Amino acid sequence: MKKTIQITVNGKSYSRDADTRQVLADFLRDELRLTGTHIGCGTGSCGACTVVLDGRTVKSCCILAADVDGQEITTIEGISTGAQQLHPIQEAFVEFQGLQCGYCTPGMVLSAMQLLKENPNPSEDEIRHGISGNLCRCTGYHFIVKSIQEAAKRLQASK
Amino acid sequence: MISREYEFHAPKTLNEALSLLEKSGGNAKLIAGGMSLVPMMTLGLAHPDAVISLNKVPGLDGVKEDGGVLAIGAMTRHHVLKTNPLIAQHAPLLAEAAKYVGDVQVRHRGTLGGVLVHADPAADYLPVCLALGAQIKLQSAKGVRTVEARDFFKDIMTTSIEDGEILVEVRVPKLPAGSGSSYQRLHRVEGNYAIVNAAAVVEPGKKKGRVALGGVGPTPVMIDVSAHIASGVSDDALRRVSDAAFAAAENAYGDLNGDAKYKQAMARVYAQRVVRAAAAQAQ
Ligand SMILES: Cc1cc2nc3c(=O)[nH]c(=O)nc-3n(C[C@H](O)[C@H](O)[C@H](O)COP(=O)(O)OP(=O)(O)OC[C@H]3O[C@@H](n4cnc5c(N)ncnc54)[C@H](O)[C@@H]3O)c2cc1C
Ligand code: FES
Ligand code: FES
Repeated sequence: MKKTIQITVNGKSYSRDADTRQVLADFLRDELRLTGTHIGCGTGSCGACTVVLDGRTVKSCCILAADVDGQEITTIEGISTGAQQLHPIQEAFVEFQGLQCGYCTPGMVLSAMQLLKENPNPSEDEIRHGISGNLCRCTGYHFIVKSIQEAAKRLQASK
Repeated sequence: MISREYEFHAPKTLNEALSLLEKSGGNAKLIAGGMSLVPMMTLGLAHPDAVISLNKVPGLDGVKEDGGVLAIGAMTRHHVLKTNPLIAQHAPLLAEAAKYVGDVQVRHRGTLGGVLVHADPAADYLPVCLALGAQIKLQSAKGVRTVEARDFFKDIMTTSIEDGEILVEVRVPKLPAGSGSSYQRLHRVEGNYAIVNAAAVVEPGKKKGRVALGGVGPTPVMIDVSAHIASGVSDDALRRVSDAAFAAAENAYGDLNGDAKYKQAMARVYAQRVVRAAAAQAQ
């Protein structure tokens, strides 16, 4: 069954027919070709599919696309200011080796962004809690935590 | 992509949702946060003919005061329960439990009503709702009925909700000033369901109290500990609480987290811990 949905993704509005069986992650990847949103487990455990829905991070593999009609979404593609520009959190991940294979990275970066929005100066422990919904099979998390600490410093300094 | 076809509805009023539910004749599923339902559909474990969303129905979320009771909408999401000032003041156990539910993303989307109807035996709100004496308000096209939380859970992932009913509200009596309460859980990995969890309320004066335990059987169990603590929360009293918890956990079953005996033993430990902590808080 198809359902027409209107959504805003990264500031752009779309009106599309979504298959009602499509989860939001599939819709973003297959219909809008925004393949930065990854699918790891598909069942809510890994956080690779994290996107921002009306200002809060959610796991887009557990939400039906048809169920977000009229809502606003930000994906990893939408957080920097321009095509050649990285968001300060992304820059810190690159410089401090917050990624290896990169599969978890879009979700990690969005979770970090949510955390720093609510808590601009988090402790190491708070960072670890903030990204506890995101699994990484490569880094052992240590460099991810370092990257987020550095990003926090830079974002604070730029204010 | 979910493999099996189904109809999808996003009603804009509760009445519309109720009539869609009634018309669907049994094999429709309501969707709230989708955090449990969507993975089950993706894995082929749930295959409804129709999915009816509550996400666009106004008036089903939020926390209101209604005399001595907090009226909490079924669609209230975990992160709201964790941070709402009325909950913090009058039902701090719920906020404490909400902190443990899943992770940040799960708490942004999952709902109180979804947890209660999904009824995982180790879900965080189950023992909390029992210990708080919560009532569960169910609405159908025919009318409204209210069920005590302690009568709501029937078996593993089975409740007394009937076809055609929507859980609309959870009514939680405000804890009287001077009460103490504590929620604690055993888990190995952050963001996972508890293995065993426990919630205690000790009333002002420390003569009366109750403990509810989850993860130690198909449904949460509750123990009145008043007789044990009436003459003080001594080591001896806690030993009797522990024995009562062990007995109440007689239907514990083994799974990948541990065998039945282990869970029964943990029922002892956690019942004692929450009673001690709640009593220390009570006046
Ligand atoms: C990674 C992960 C970790 C988790 N960890 C925990 C945890 O530690 N502790 C814990 O308690 N939970 C945990 N959960 C479950 C989570 O709390 C879910 O939010 C919850 O079980 C379901 O709520 P939902 O709103 O998402 O409901 P849905 O998934 O939408 O629905 C669940 C069921 O309830 C029914 N339903 C929903 N709302 C209503 C209503 N108002 N009236 C009637 N029926 C309704 C649906 O038809 C469905 O059968 C976890 C989930 C995930 C994905
Ligand atoms: S793909 Fe969504 S949580 Fe793993
Ligand atoms: S960098 Fe490979 S999964 Fe995190």
